[in-house]
Amino acid sequence: MRALAGLLIAALVPLHGAAPPFKERMRDVVETYAHPKGPGDSGYATIAAKLWLGEDAAWCSKRLEQLLAGGPTGDMFWMFPVTAIAYLGQNKLTPSAMKSLRGAWKTYMPYRGDTENHWLLYYTSLYLMAQMWPDEPGSAWYTGKPSAENFREAESWIKQWMELTITRGQGEYDCTHYIGVYLLPLSYLKAWAKDAEMRQRATMMLEYIMADYAVENLDGIYVGSHARTDDKQVLEKWNGVSSDLGWLLFGVGWPLPVHAGYTMYYAVASGYEPPEVIQKIATDRSQPYVHKELKRTRHRWRFFDERNGRVYKTTYMRKEYAVGSDQGGVLQPVQQHSWDVTWAVKDPRGVHNTLFTIHPFSSLHELQTYFTFAPDFGTESVVRSKKSYDSPDKFLGGSPFEKLYQEGDAVIVLYDIPPGTRFPHINGFFSKDLSYFEEHPSGWIFVRGGDAWIAYRPLAQYSWMPMLGGDRRLFSPYLKNGAVVQSAPASEYPDIASFRKAILALPIEIKLEPTPSVQFTSLRGKRMEFTFGKPPVNYDSWQLFEGPFLNSARDSRKLVLTHGTLRRELDFKTLTVR
Amino acid sequence: MRSLVFLLSVAALAQAPKHRLHTCMVTSKDYVVGAKLPPSGLFVNAGTQGWQHRGFNHPYVAALDFDTRDPQTLFLAAGNGVIRAGDDGREWKILTGNDVTELRDISVKGETIWFAHTAGIAVSRDGGKNWSAADNGIRRKYTEALLVDRTEPEHVVAGTEQGLFVTEDGGRTWGAAGAAGYQARRIVQSPHDAKEWLAATEKGGLFRSRDGGKTFESGGNIGVDRTLYDISYDPAKPGRIAVCGWDPGVLVSEDGGRTWQPRNIGLPNPWIWSVAFDPDQPGKLWASVHEDEIHVSDDAGKTWRRAGLPGSIIYRMVFVPEVRP
Repeated sequence: MRALAGLLIAALVPLHGAAPPFKERMRDVVETYAHPKGPGDSGYATIAAKLWLGEDAAWCSKRLEQLLAGGPTGDMFWMFPVTAIAYLGQNKLTPSAMKSLRGAWKTYMPYRGDTENHWLLYYTSLYLMAQMWPDEPGSAWYTGKPSAENFREAESWIKQWMELTITRGQGEYDCTHYIGVYLLPLSYLKAWAKDAEMRQRATMMLEYIMADYAVENLDGIYVGSHARTDDKQVLEKWNGVSSDLGWLLFGVGWPLPVHAGYTMYYAVASGYEPPEVIQKIATDRSQPYVHKELKRTRHRWRFFDERNGRVYKTTYMRKEYAVGSDQGGVLQPVQQHSWDVTWAVKDPRGVHNTLFTIHPFSSLHELQTYFTFAPDFGTESVVRSKKSYDSPDKFLGGSPFEKLYQEGDAVIVLYDIPPGTRFPHINGFFSKDLSYFEEHPSGWIFVRGGDAWIAYRPLAQYSWMPMLGGDRRLFSPYLKNGAVVQSAPASEYPDIASFRKAILALPIEIKLEPTPSVQFTSLRGKRMEFTFGKPPVNYDSWQLFEGPFLNSARDSRKLVLTHGTLRRELDFKTLTVR
Repeated sequence: MRSLVFLLSVAALAQAPKHRLHTCMVTSKDYVVGAKLPPSGLFVNAGTQGWQHRGFNHPYVAALDFDTRDPQTLFLAAGNGVIRAGDDGREWKILTGNDVTELRDISVKGETIWFAHTAGIAVSRDGGKNWSAADNGIRRKYTEALLVDRTEPEHVVAGTEQGLFVTEDGGRTWGAAGAAGYQARRIVQSPHDAKEWLAATEKGGLFRSRDGGKTFESGGNIGVDRTLYDISYDPAKPGRIAVCGWDPGVLVSEDGGRTWQPRNIGLPNPWIWSVAFDPDQPGKLWASVHEDEIHVSDDAGKTWRRAGLPGSIIYRMVFVPEVRP
């Protein structure tokens, strides 16, 4: 009887239930850096981790002086580790080490960078260091400005960024990597800002960004459209910083084999444990839901009258899979990911649990919109660090010739690519990890990933390109193009025959000339009409957050989090949490 | 003996250059924000002592200018803002705040400092203590190039993404001045004739003004459909002008811009960011070659030799008057 009870309990424990409690997860993250396996890993992160654990203060001082003597590099990515060490090392580091640390803020000028994540790291670090040394003259700082001026400048930018984010949405929204770069400085401000108001703002912004991720994670995998992801994680959805944070914050999914540095710095600063309502939102997938968000583009310096364009996101979530999209177009430079279906798997490591298409677009116009690149060298300079940007077989990036419409777990994606466009074709990603694959005479492609059925109806002819590792690239060189994609859980269709039958019964009309257009009725009975270039819905009513768990009306400066009987209101007007 | 030393000193002074070449540069290979930055920022040609790095290492210094009354104090258009670089570039102070970024150009006239940036144009009337936006009337505000008239300080010409704009009232109002639809990357005023201005553009070629920078007209076909990055008048020889760009390389005119000759023999590639005539040595022309090395010519570009700063992109070269104690 006891054995049976044990088995029942074991069966009820979900995968993430195996995760240790939050405090133990925190410790695990910090230990990774405090006791690195390789001798070459003993950098700033090791110092910060050891100081947090209260270990080897003498070693920390010595090592810090060694590192600083080598000359700082890394701009804001140098500033934030050193800021953490300055605060964690108070009363622990030797006067000599603290003097070296302080001196570096006079002798090294970090570049402020060209993205919001750069600036948040830069100004958070400057804020905290100016706070630590409050009465020093301009000659003591690389800026040439006295402490008070550095502090005011940093404080005002941080507040402006927060205000812009809660009223217009985040610019680098829902990034699978850079989520760490936003949580980290907010964790610093929560832990170390002396100003109670700034601490409160930081705490509320932490919850804001955590909740934003919580509602769009599937077992720790950040789903939906992203302002930025990367070539690896766009296919192997688990493999990035967001999953590491998902494991730390919510105990879901799988952490990275070596925890991300951002996760560690988050932990050693505030190490803030999400409130219960966010924890519930992150882990409850008992009912399907549709969640909508309004975000903004990054700053568009050229070619647009409005600095920040609007991004309309839709995400359908259920325990078996998620479907997410934006409205299409170039909303972010280089690393945008506009739509996909991502299905849940027990162990996502090494698994390409996603399906999507893109038009592989690259252009100087895109780069010059967001950056100051000179015309002749812009693309090459991007390709030096973002290798796939100008590749015809890439799977990353937005395109002005791609438009999207999503209702529930059905997506229509349309392409209208002008003749002469570089890379005049579309790429579709079909995973090696599909357990079922069928090209049906009707034109539909039926696949299964995990417990998700996916029906994919291409709008133009295509061929298959093999990829390393067994994935396949759907290649379609037709300029008027697109697909209708309908997902469904295996629980609703026990076999392929029933799913196929249901899909084949759905009304669908396709017209490609003169403009791609589709009329489709989804499995859930939603009539969808979509023509390239015409908004399929009234976006004017789109709110910052809208769904069963997160709601925020435009300009309300309030985010209401709900789950069951739990309710939490972040009121940025009054800086109160209720 | 004392007389001999004095005479030698006088002779040395007579031969010493009156200007030093300053470069705004980045060693760009393998650098992205956050990576280790090779020597970059402000460099000064110290003659036999070679190139000297002045001030902080910085990946983004697009342009520099100085107040002619105090050329030891430079003003840099930098990624981090306007930087006042005193002591000939050694002592830096950031003069601007968090409201501007990635500055593109700068023009100084006495206490008045103008700069062009990603979101428009700003000006300080008090040497950089206070700043105000000065781009009213310009719809698309991204501004790449800017120059204050050396004879009329309220007259400024700016190169925006929609073409050249001019103000006659210190930035209160702006009007279109030509090159419509072309992004100007460099605006210069002739040292020989204050009424003559030139603007180098992306794809539109060269534009010329003969009415003191009020209106600009196409200067012919050179550089059309390519990018022209820089222009230099030879201060010692009226009528001699050099322009440079991506693919045209270096072009030199000896007749005031009526005809142009390519001067690329001996250059490793035709991708040239900046050119500058040496005001102390007639015909001596400097050219910054994309990620290769700065090159110098003693014969206005007919022959070239290497002159240092390997691997660099030099956005701007400026000769700054020497100030001797």
